[in-house]
Amino acid sequence: MTTYRLQVNGKQHAVDVDADTPLLYVLRNELALNGAKFGCGLGQCGSCTVLLGDQSVMSCMVPVSGIGARPVRTVEGLGDARTPGVLQQAFIDEQAAQCGYCIAGMIMQATALLEKTPAPTDAQIRAHMSPNLCRCGTHMRILRAVRRAADKLAAGGKR
Amino acid sequence: MSADQGRRRFLAAGGALTLSFAMPAWSAPGELPKSLDKSPWLDAWIRIDASEAITVFTGKAELGQGIKTALLQVVANELRIAPSRLQLVTADTARTPDEGMTAGSNSMKDSGTALRHAAGQVRARLMELAAARMKVPATGLALKDGAFIAPDGRRASFGQLVSGQELHARATPEPAPPAPGPKTAIGQSLPRVDIPAKVTGGRAYVQDLRLPNMVHARVVRPPSQAASLIELDAAAVMRLPGVVKVVRDGRFLAVIADGEYRAVKAAAFLARAARWDMPAALPVHPDVKSLVMAQPSEPTTILERGTRVGQGTKLSATFTRPFQLHASIGPSCAIAQLVDKRYTVWTHSQGVFPLKSALAELLAADEDAIRCIHVEGSGCYGHNAADDVAADAALLARALPGRPVRVQWMREDEHGWEPFGAAMVAQVAATLGLDGRIADWQYDVFTPPHNTRPGKAGNLLPATHLEKPFTPPRPKPSPQPEGSGDRNAIPYYLLPNARVTHHFQPRAVLRTSAMRGLGAYCNVFAIESFMDELARTARVDPVAFRLRHLDDPRAVDVVKLAAAKFGWDAYERTPRRGRGFAFARYKNLASYCALAVEVEVARETGLVRIARVASAVDCGEIVNPDGVRNQIEGGIVQSASWTLLEQVRFDASRVLTVDWAAYPILRFGQVPDKLDVHLIDRPGQPFLGTGEAAQGPAAAAIANAVFDACGLRMRDLPLDRARVRKAS
Amino acid sequence: MDHARRKRHTGWWLLLAAAIVLTGIAFGIMWRPALAPQTAIPSFDEARIERGANLARLGMCASCHTADLARPFAGGKPMETPFGTVHSTNITPDRDTGIGAWSPEAFTRAMRQGVSRDGHLLYPAFPYNHYVRMTQDDVDDLYAYFMTRPPLDAPARANDMTFPFGFRPLVGFWNVLYLDDAPWRPDPGQSAEWNRGAYLADAAAHCAACHTPRTELGGPDLKRQLDGGEAEDWYAPALNKNSPSPLPWTRAQLHAYLRTGMAEDHAVAGGPMQDVVMHLAQADEADVAALAAWTHSHLAQAPARTTPAQTSGPLPPPAPDDPDLPRMRLGHELYTNSCARCHDVGRSPGSGAALPLQKAIALYEPDPRSLIHIVDDGILPPDGEPGRWMPGFKAILSIEQAGALAAYLRKYGAGQPAWPGLDQQVRKARAP
Repeated sequence: MTTYRLQVNGKQHAVDVDADTPLLYVLRNELALNGAKFGCGLGQCGSCTVLLGDQSVMSCMVPVSGIGARPVRTVEGLGDARTPGVLQQAFIDEQAAQCGYCIAGMIMQATALLEKTPAPTDAQIRAHMSPNLCRCGTHMRILRAVRRAADKLAAGGKR
Repeated sequence: MSADQGRRRFLAAGGALTLSFAMPAWSAPGELPKSLDKSPWLDAWIRIDASEAITVFTGKAELGQGIKTALLQVVANELRIAPSRLQLVTADTARTPDEGMTAGSNSMKDSGTALRHAAGQVRARLMELAAARMKVPATGLALKDGAFIAPDGRRASFGQLVSGQELHARATPEPAPPAPGPKTAIGQSLPRVDIPAKVTGGRAYVQDLRLPNMVHARVVRPPSQAASLIELDAAAVMRLPGVVKVVRDGRFLAVIADGEYRAVKAAAFLARAARWDMPAALPVHPDVKSLVMAQPSEPTTILERGTRVGQGTKLSATFTRPFQLHASIGPSCAIAQLVDKRYTVWTHSQGVFPLKSALAELLAADEDAIRCIHVEGSGCYGHNAADDVAADAALLARALPGRPVRVQWMREDEHGWEPFGAAMVAQVAATLGLDGRIADWQYDVFTPPHNTRPGKAGNLLPATHLEKPFTPPRPKPSPQPEGSGDRNAIPYYLLPNARVTHHFQPRAVLRTSAMRGLGAYCNVFAIESFMDELARTARVDPVAFRLRHLDDPRAVDVVKLAAAKFGWDAYERTPRRGRGFAFARYKNLASYCALAVEVEVARETGLVRIARVASAVDCGEIVNPDGVRNQIEGGIVQSASWTLLEQVRFDASRVLTVDWAAYPILRFGQVPDKLDVHLIDRPGQPFLGTGEAAQGPAAAAIANAVFDACGLRMRDLPLDRARVRKAS
Repeated sequence: MDHARRKRHTGWWLLLAAAIVLTGIAFGIMWRPALAPQTAIPSFDEARIERGANLARLGMCASCHTADLARPFAGGKPMETPFGTVHSTNITPDRDTGIGAWSPEAFTRAMRQGVSRDGHLLYPAFPYNHYVRMTQDDVDDLYAYFMTRPPLDAPARANDMTFPFGFRPLVGFWNVLYLDDAPWRPDPGQSAEWNRGAYLADAAAHCAACHTPRTELGGPDLKRQLDGGEAEDWYAPALNKNSPSPLPWTRAQLHAYLRTGMAEDHAVAGGPMQDVVMHLAQADEADVAALAAWTHSHLAQAPARTTPAQTSGPLPPPAPDDPDLPRMRLGHELYTNSCARCHDVGRSPGSGAALPLQKAIALYEPDPRSLIHIVDDGILPPDGEPGRWMPGFKAILSIEQAGALAAYLRKYGAGQPAWPGLDQQVRKARAP
């Protein structure tokens, strides 16, 4: 085991884990963060999506030893139940969840899109969200929520 | 200790005061709503304490279908109080009524109805108490925010009314008079109470539980269903960092470690340290039809009406559905702890009470020594691996008493070992009379079991892998009208002469159990596809043809609404596009759903795109309109995935579809461009669940639209790209 | 007129004559007439259409002409070439935006000479220099197939060519150099199956278009047939005696690979080869067997050699005296923590089970681009189709990390000399 220093949601952390431990397990276990979820551990479903720097990544595929100084952001960093961020509020407004297990990953994937492409077309949203799976069939609402957040940000809303 | 005494002690210990009143004549059982019949004490369902805290208990579980919110709305409406004033406790064998499984779209019908009834009687009793306390007639009381208000302005709050009294009364069959004032929470799209935590990383799932001193475990499953363990060298595994214990019992193999990823690595190591014999035990068939038809079956006629008719045009067709996966996005997880000979199991099982019985048998323990607490998992869509992993956890808790043991199935475990959706064959034949009506109808459905749920330990996967294995009990089909593989096998149409036979296959090639809709998905697919074939032969519009055979006005209404919203009559076909229609009433007694679909087919690539869907739903009195829409949208999109993409594949020895790469499901690029759900509210009608109403109609509507678009009549699910490319 | 002036006048006349002749020749090279549009699409018999369907798969037409799965053959796919970005065109029988008005003659001329119906020259991104050797019967079969597809409205997208290649008539000069219209001839010393494979490989599947290196002018380097080339920034390995494959190919393996993209002991098909496999999976089985036979006859000429592929087990840590030790250590650490979990297990039906990297051809190729793409983007099955899945690491590995990993794998996975210019290639692949 080695000590790794990570910056997660703006805070510094020191974690003692094996070098090959995927970031997902560090987030959930060492840091007790619930947002990123175990869906497959194979990089195929996106339930574990977080931001590494400005890129969305599947945290189940990121060994903690390779992160270095790059900042990690999870859904917890966007806001909480009392003061949700724009995307989180949009998902609440659209009631964009059934079981909700995939949703934190969806929100992080959408965050990466809106930070790079503030005014995406519907086609761009669909294409960008493709790596993330939803088994309950909530896709229509997820797309509407991302659209809603994009429109809100375009109208000058705060992230 | 009887359940009643136990409950009283529990409640007394909690300091909560409960409601009851002197018992009038006990009404005959069976006249109470079903769940109340089993659990008739009002305080089993609603507790109020002196601090005004109101707790509602339900034996049902939140599966992501919004039931927590909807049940709160039901009670809030009866008590004329804001839903935020209520706390809900769901399925917990130590605290809530036993309502069996959360399944069959029965939660609103069973728990919703029971709670409405119980809450109404609670309110009526409180009103009597308030009237007595304030010495005014009950009819003169207003009710607001948890308090009764006398005409002169004096108030008596719920908490004041029950303080100092411990009351405990049975519900009576006669419903309470309606609450004063207008309907409140019911009929409103109250935002779901569980969503805020889910979008902000709050604790929401069993996977999020972190208990003190918890350890992590992974089970190493055999490489195939029939594999046997020849030898195991566990010594090296024991020496891996963090490993606490290696457990072996027969071919049940597991490793427990102090850290989660260490458990994952140790399990991979353990898998390599094992040598298995893998016989070629699975039958190889060229297609689903020959595989299913090769299994022995026991026929039961479930409908026999009239005779076979001679005159008219005869049509027949065979439809098939492969094994399919629940494929829950979060693989199953459970935590179990054994302390002082008592087990606590945190589980997302759909049935905590049946699970408790099964675990008691598995562990040779008293049922009283086991407590199963439902904590949400990801969507299960039926009997997935939730019970199996609970059994894993319980066995490992027994191997490591004192510490909570968390077992998380890996993706390959879930895809490879969950009970599958059953492969089915449906054979339909009908005679079209000269008057353009169906003159006779024969339907035969061949299917392995749709219910191998616990109850019995033999239905828990790890129990069958032990040195002294439990044997799965012989599966039994559920009788009509609910049915299992024969659910919705009887068409809802007017058929003067009809014969429907359920060919139940007790032995399946692969383990199968309940998957959302059970037999309804395939049966409605078959029936509604065939109705289209009949309509075309009769040269009648498919919607008009269905209306010709329906006399239930609620069915007629949904059919007409879906058609109207789609613009069915004015539709003009464009190249490569077509439209399809389908209707069903789930179980012929639950929700009504009709839908019209437009697709675009690209034959060369095999891509079927869903351009738009218009659906109409009648689910009785609507509690939460947005919740209904959410369920129907989800049901349609999920069904589109099953219908266009999904089949379990296996070779002579093992299941091959062990991850999302091998078993693709619908991604964002293929969801419909437009999907609308139109609701018909029936205030006063019983609540009907909507979780399973749309899947069958969606499948048939898509298939019918594909035929309309390009002339391909596809009768074998899934209508995947390889099939569309090959078809000519 | 005096002698000098006559000489000058003769000089001018000669120059003028030469200019006229040259212009005439150039014109003849660069200009083609338009062919009259046909008014109605003829009908075809089913058998011909079916043969055409098979040929369309063998010819890989949809690889370029289908950009959107919902609109087969409607074109619009951008292809990067050294001369600019070319977009494929609509080859559905739409009258206005597709080939609906093309007679069989126009179609044949396009296939054989790279000339559009209205006379403009097509860019050789369209491999007519291969299709030229198709028999007329096969061309007619293809015509029948395309003319019976659903017509789709999809106007051609404007290309983005670097100057002066936007001037299409220049392609005429390329044709002079590289368009060899001699008919294909079988080799009498080979079997019927081999010859069928040879014909299909050249005239339909155009394997050499990717697997033979190109000259500066973008034509095939005929002196180095099947010596390795490129497509869409992937390196296409040599298929002849210079094959970099660390293990030899058997015919059965090759056949399985062409049909499924997978073969025991060999890497899965990645990049543009995935599309080839998708096409061949739908083609006539005997034709694919023939292609395998022909390809194998070339691959079998690669001499047997000893490579780390004959060993198994995890890749080793760097030698303590490695001149590039810090970078190799980083690469080894990245391999151990990112790759080993799947790649050390060895391929089995399990999902997290992948090829041991000693056997990965990408590490043995003289060009690192394929490896870089695999690491960055992974190898994913086509959307909605089952397959095997390697995730991409572009967002996970920094440029420095990706370079170190590639260098380590090259040396300690394949035992090959370092790739020159590796770091530039890694950076270039990441540039937007």
